[in-house]
Amino acid sequence: MTMKNLKNIFRIAIMVLLASSCSTNNNSKVQPEQSKRDTVIIQAMKFQPDTIMINEGDTIVWINKGIVAHDISKYPDKTWHSDTIEPQQTFEKVFDDSTSYFCSIHPTMKGLIMINK
Amino acid sequence: MMYTIRSLGKWMGGIAGLLILSAPVTMAQTSNKLTDPEIASVAVTANQIDVNYGKIALKKTKNADILKFANTMIKDHNNIISQAVALATKLKVTPKTNATTQSLLDGEKTTTTMLNSKKGSAFNKAYIDNEVAYHQAVINAVKTVLIPDAQNAELKGLLQSVMPLLESHLEMAKNMAAKF
Repeated sequence: MTMKNLKNIFRIAIMVLLASSCSTNNNSKVQPEQSKRDTVIIQAMKFQPDTIMINEGDTIVWINKGIVAHDISKYPDKTWHSDTIEPQQTFEKVFDDSTSYFCSIHPTMKGLIMINK
Repeated sequence: MMYTIRSLGKWMGGIAGLLILSAPVTMAQTSNKLTDPEIASVAVTANQIDVNYGKIALKKTKNADILKFANTMIKDHNNIISQAVALATKLKVTPKTNATTQSLLDGEKTTTTMLNSKKGSAFNKAYIDNEVAYHQAVINAVKTVLIPDAQNAELKGLLQSVMPLLESHLEMAKNMAAKF
């Protein structure tokens, strides 16, 4: 085996090792997408934004910046609902499915959560 | 139930007439403008009156929808009163009774007598119809007189922030009135 052949074998071995190393690193970077937190402001008798698009498993935080108490209830059957949210208080919930909701204290206030799937 | 501007004015003890019929004249005559202490008095009185109507409903009805609505009115309008009083205290403004306040109180007496004379479904209808008319009149008052006349920016801001709540109450009352 000549010196030239030995160098070529060494180069190939290095390339294989590097490729293997890169592949391992790429695999280690693949992690489940972290859930996010999105905010809905309650103000002027509206949910702002009134329609929000999120990913499955994300959390929505409602912040009551209004002048009276509100709640967050599934529309229209209230199968899930928050406690009363007084001014400056918050409520948060994780969503896996699209849903519409409303304030059962002031039923004119409505909102929509849409899940990206 | 239809209300003419004139009958509404009578119901409101004259405030609707003052605000709707003669608003352009009032606004043109700067001497008739309400002062901030007078506006504070009108605001607190108008909210207290709807709290009082709600308390009458709690005593006289067993209808779940009316009870829920009345409780919401009591809580929301008490909340506005608290904020108005807190602001008046901060600004060192002493609410001053005036002709508009007195008209509101006169209207409350008439309406209270009318509500107390009713029972059952007749009361429910009278209460919710009055809520529609009262909120409409108060919205007109806040929009056309109280906000334009308010001099202090914080007082004007509080009045502006109350408008969406009053409009929501009106829509809720109209939706409920359609059921009675």
